[in-house]
Amino acid sequence: MINRMRIADCGLRISLLSVFVVASCVLAAAQSAIPSPGAPRSVVIPSVKEMKLKNGLTVAVIEKKGVPIVTVQLLVKNGASVEDKSKAGLANLTADLLTKGTKTKSATQIAEEIEFLGGSIFSFAGWQNSSVGLSITSDKFDQAMSIMADVALNPSFAEDELKLLKSQTLDELTYNLAEPGFLANYVSTRFTFGEHPAGGSPASIEAISRADVAKFYEDNYRPRESVLIFVGDVSAAKANAAAEKFFGVWSKQVRSYSSTGAGIAARVEGKPIVKRMLVIDLPKSGQASVNFIKQIRGTGRGSRDYYPAAVLNSLLGGGYSSRLNQEIRIKRGLSYGAGSSFAWRQDKSNFGARTQTKNESAAEVAELIVAEIKRLVDSVPTDVELSPRKSVLTGGFGRNLETTQGLAGALADLYTFGIPASELNAYMPSVNAVKNADLKSFAAANLFEGDIIIVGDYEVFKNDLAKRFPNQTISVIKASELDIDSETLRKGDVR
Amino acid sequence: MISASVAALGQVTVEPLNLKERTLKNGLKVVSLQDNSTPTVSIHVWYDVGGKNDPPGKSGFAHMFEHMMFKATRNMPNEKLDRLTEDVGGFNNASTWPDYTNYYEVVPSNHLEVLLWAEADRMVNLNVDEANFASEREVVKEEYRQGILAPPYGKLFWLLDDITFQKHPYRRGVIGNLEELSAATRADAEKFYKDYYRPDNAVLVVVGDFDQKQFDMWVDKYFGSLARPNTPIKRVTEVEPEWTAERRFNETGPRVPFPATAIVYRAPRTSSPDIPALRIAQVIISGGESSRMYQSLVRNQQIAQEASVDLELNTEGGRISFIGIGSDKGTSENLEKAMLAELKKIQDGGITAKELEKAKNGLVAAAIRSRETNDGKAILIERAVAYLGDPKAVNGEVAKIQAVSAADVQRVMKQYFKDDNRVVIYYNQAKAAEGEK
Repeated sequence: MINRMRIADCGLRISLLSVFVVASCVLAAAQSAIPSPGAPRSVVIPSVKEMKLKNGLTVAVIEKKGVPIVTVQLLVKNGASVEDKSKAGLANLTADLLTKGTKTKSATQIAEEIEFLGGSIFSFAGWQNSSVGLSITSDKFDQAMSIMADVALNPSFAEDELKLLKSQTLDELTYNLAEPGFLANYVSTRFTFGEHPAGGSPASIEAISRADVAKFYEDNYRPRESVLIFVGDVSAAKANAAAEKFFGVWSKQVRSYSSTGAGIAARVEGKPIVKRMLVIDLPKSGQASVNFIKQIRGTGRGSRDYYPAAVLNSLLGGGYSSRLNQEIRIKRGLSYGAGSSFAWRQDKSNFGARTQTKNESAAEVAELIVAEIKRLVDSVPTDVELSPRKSVLTGGFGRNLETTQGLAGALADLYTFGIPASELNAYMPSVNAVKNADLKSFAAANLFEGDIIIVGDYEVFKNDLAKRFPNQTISVIKASELDIDSETLRKGDVR
Repeated sequence: MISASVAALGQVTVEPLNLKERTLKNGLKVVSLQDNSTPTVSIHVWYDVGGKNDPPGKSGFAHMFEHMMFKATRNMPNEKLDRLTEDVGGFNNASTWPDYTNYYEVVPSNHLEVLLWAEADRMVNLNVDEANFASEREVVKEEYRQGILAPPYGKLFWLLDDITFQKHPYRRGVIGNLEELSAATRADAEKFYKDYYRPDNAVLVVVGDFDQKQFDMWVDKYFGSLARPNTPIKRVTEVEPEWTAERRFNETGPRVPFPATAIVYRAPRTSSPDIPALRIAQVIISGGESSRMYQSLVRNQQIAQEASVDLELNTEGGRISFIGIGSDKGTSENLEKAMLAELKKIQDGGITAKELEKAKNGLVAAAIRSRETNDGKAILIERAVAYLGDPKAVNGEVAKIQAVSAADVQRVMKQYFKDDNRVVIYYNQAKAAEGEK
């Protein structure tokens, strides 16, 4: 199947309303005239029931009847951000290893048991969280919970499983690094964001030992810093009883983290949009990946600027009709799709505008992206343009809450950043309350001095790039000489 | 035990979708499923035209034409569909398959009438101009590059169509190729639109929040007046010959991190009664980490990163591909050997009762999950239309899965997978040419 455009999710909004409003039919309307929409039905966001177990584990339940499916997610509020960069990939390997054996079951037994139930257990780590999740039909809820709890609480971290997983992780990294878009993101972690790649580098993955994994688990998987989320065909009483039965035995000491201080965004008007330009030369690359990347200090997930940033992103690069996609794809046919996103942290965010294009048009596309960033800084969008972009956000938010997995993910996002679950209800009004001028202020304070990172066949766009950015110093690193662990990003240089 | 365990004894069931069907005088089939539990609605317009209907020498055309359907009509400017969906908090998309093309939207339900009007409009009133045609063709070429040229194994997946089918137009693949995309003209688009975009070649599927009587009135109003052309609809007549000898290919790409192997067999038509047993076989061989190929190739021998069975099921017969992507210990040779060994084990020894039950539980759970949203249900109905020729067939699929026996699985494994009806593709890094490093 080949799509017009890739869309991350498709689902519908949740509503507990049963009132149906029938729009009146305009009988006189001619076929060529577009009819008017009827009166809207309001969207109802489901409510969250919260409780705490004696060991400090928070339990959050959203009961959603209709489809006999339950999604369970154990959210642990620590992830790759607390791993040492020389052991980058540790949070990820720890999460992956949970399902590879417990004190009483082998990896194969775990897979056989959960798959026999028609369910799945997944585990993964993000930058600021780790998760173990379960999707199961509600008739098999108890059996599946018992397997999930065993995986979360009794991992064996067997030496041979770690060895296999490291080898698989390295192979997967080699595979991904052949892809220009992945390579660009990988480089930006170090070059722009001052972070390490969350999945690890070849050297850091190699360096991880069983003791590192066991210690990461001991230090970070703790009931007081975790939330057990249930969504779907399960009552609060049943979910709470299962939480008590399977996770009540979980007890560990609390460890506190010193949070890093939030930076303050300074206005930097007068500075150039592009600070640095980096090319990773990937000869014979099928396309070039073109990126504008900026770290935004002081604007974290819980900050006041979250909503203006989200609306700005929707205008610039969220969804099909965003400005980037209009300019790059729709008007000029230069890409299959162009977009932007914020990766949220506690006290900052990582912003990126990205697209892929044929190598010949890489420089032209870089120029178009820079022009769109500049337009955000220079002008206030009109209501006519912005109001639909807000609808894209609120509509997408509602659709995401239609599935049990989408709802669980939205809750996990809030809990990760210590935001109350009631924020689910505040999302739509908060988006609509953003003022047009807020976008310009946000852009003017935060989007200057970003980095352009291009991964592609440099020979093809070298001259055009120099011509279009005459005053810009261009650093070029051959992909074969790239070392993410090096200060200079080059192999052979000092780590 | 807690009291909830009592409820756990009951098996979940997949409730039938209580859909309504009717056919307008102009031949348009309409399938609707009212569900007022959420204030949204999913609208799909399915056309009986796909990649297999690309004009000769213009492979990739049906898909490129799909992109044109978002351009101006007599009553709408370019991208008006985006204004009617995205701008009101909904979304739209379209996809082209070997057998069909679909256009769909999910919108707040108060916008249903507007979208019915718009879908009726673009079924008959499209105006493709030269500038739009040229620009959207460039987008499709970028789509080709992004899907086929940029990813390390993109070309391998493209080859699965290109070098396996010998005569049937499925061999062209839906995305086509850059040369033939360049050869297409606006005149081709006009002809293609007239040939295939017509009410008697379409099915409208709507699931969600509406009032049945109101909906039927809107359908009559906006679609009822569309004319039914009196020309016949062109259908594919080529028939793929039997594959009677093994064919082997050594293919390369510019950036292939690890060796890969694909072993491709013919699949029966989607209407074949053997499909449910093949689906069960697929789960047992490569569904999840307890599957046979994962256990053997990924965990025990550690020669593969991924080993999967891909079912490309088409109305006129598809393909079943065993695809192994190597680990650092993988070679095309050892991947081929290991995948064939797993195949032979089932042919000779069959499957266990436990494996059969696992596969059924997994497929039933997947069926339930795919019914979680209105759009999910619309997709299922649409596939029943496309592949089984009957929307109501959506309600029989789970029972067919439940009826499969272990003997059925062993029988289909023997019937469809033979030494002389397969295509074997080795896919490896190209050797560097002179002067390159």
